Amino acid sequence: MATVYATRKFTFSAGHRYWRQEWSAEDNRRVFGHLTTSHGHNYVLDVTVRGTIDPVTGMVMDLGELKRLVGDAVIARFDHADLNRDAAFAGGVIPTTENLVRTIWELLQPKLGGERLHRLRLWEDPTFYVEYFGS
Amino acid sequence: MSEFRLTRRYHFSAGHRLASPALSPEDNARIYGPCYRQHGHNYQVEVTVGGEVDPLTGMSVDLGIVDAAVQRVLLDRVDHYDLSATVADLDGVVTTGENLARVFWTWLEPALPPGRLRRVAVVETDNNDFEYRGDAERARGPR
Repeated sequence: MATVYATRKFTFSAGHRYWRQEWSAEDNRRVFGHLTTSHGHNYVLDVTVRGTIDPVTGMVMDLGELKRLVGDAVIARFDHADLNRDAAFAGGVIPTTENLVRTIWELLQPKLGGERLHRLRLWEDPTFYVEYFGS
Repeated sequence: MSEFRLTRRYHFSAGHRLASPALSPEDNARIYGPCYRQHGHNYQVEVTVGGEVDPLTGMSVDLGIVDAAVQRVLLDRVDHYDLSATVADLDGVVTTGENLARVFWTWLEPALPPGRLRRVAVVETDNNDFEYRGDAERARGPR
């Protein structure tokens, strides 16, 4: 059977800053620049699932189910959140777009299954996104 | 470990026309149609770099370095120029989206951290975009 890919778009807004506690203020500013100041983004998350077409429903996946899963696991957690205070970014993990997309992958992958989740594309703003396909 | 792909989108505006010196004016007009006339676009260029995350900074490629390289070797060379006439590095290149993506790759690859460039896409209009992933790219599903 042919594999088909379906992508659904989600949005959430969150705040963050880049800062390493064990570094001096000068070192933080040198490496992270203006990202050391608290700021925020309207993130856009494209979730791509893959699979064969169910002959009965004609669908790869019920996108309503996908909306519920992502809504519960990701949007409810991160929308209007301070990412630096989230447990995923405790212990010195900087809430970069890379680390955030990996965190979201680890939240969704157990719910969707490794074979179904194909790609996450996380847009920080309209000029920049990070893609992750798992390890 | 696993790879992250970071894509940054840039803009430039430039003039161009499609005309091959190997063809007669009649053949150029027939083959390229309206694109044979001098015109221009608000181009977008997407530059994708890849790599693993540095555990200290949380970043895989420093976007400041990418921005500076793209500005220096690409945008400064083409923004508000006539791609078909006033860019010496494009002499002899028919400035189709395909050729621009390939040439931009050769400009960007040596200017970026080694081995990190994954993709160059030239978005000519909302309806046309052209992607180049280098010679080594192997297709692995839609990206």
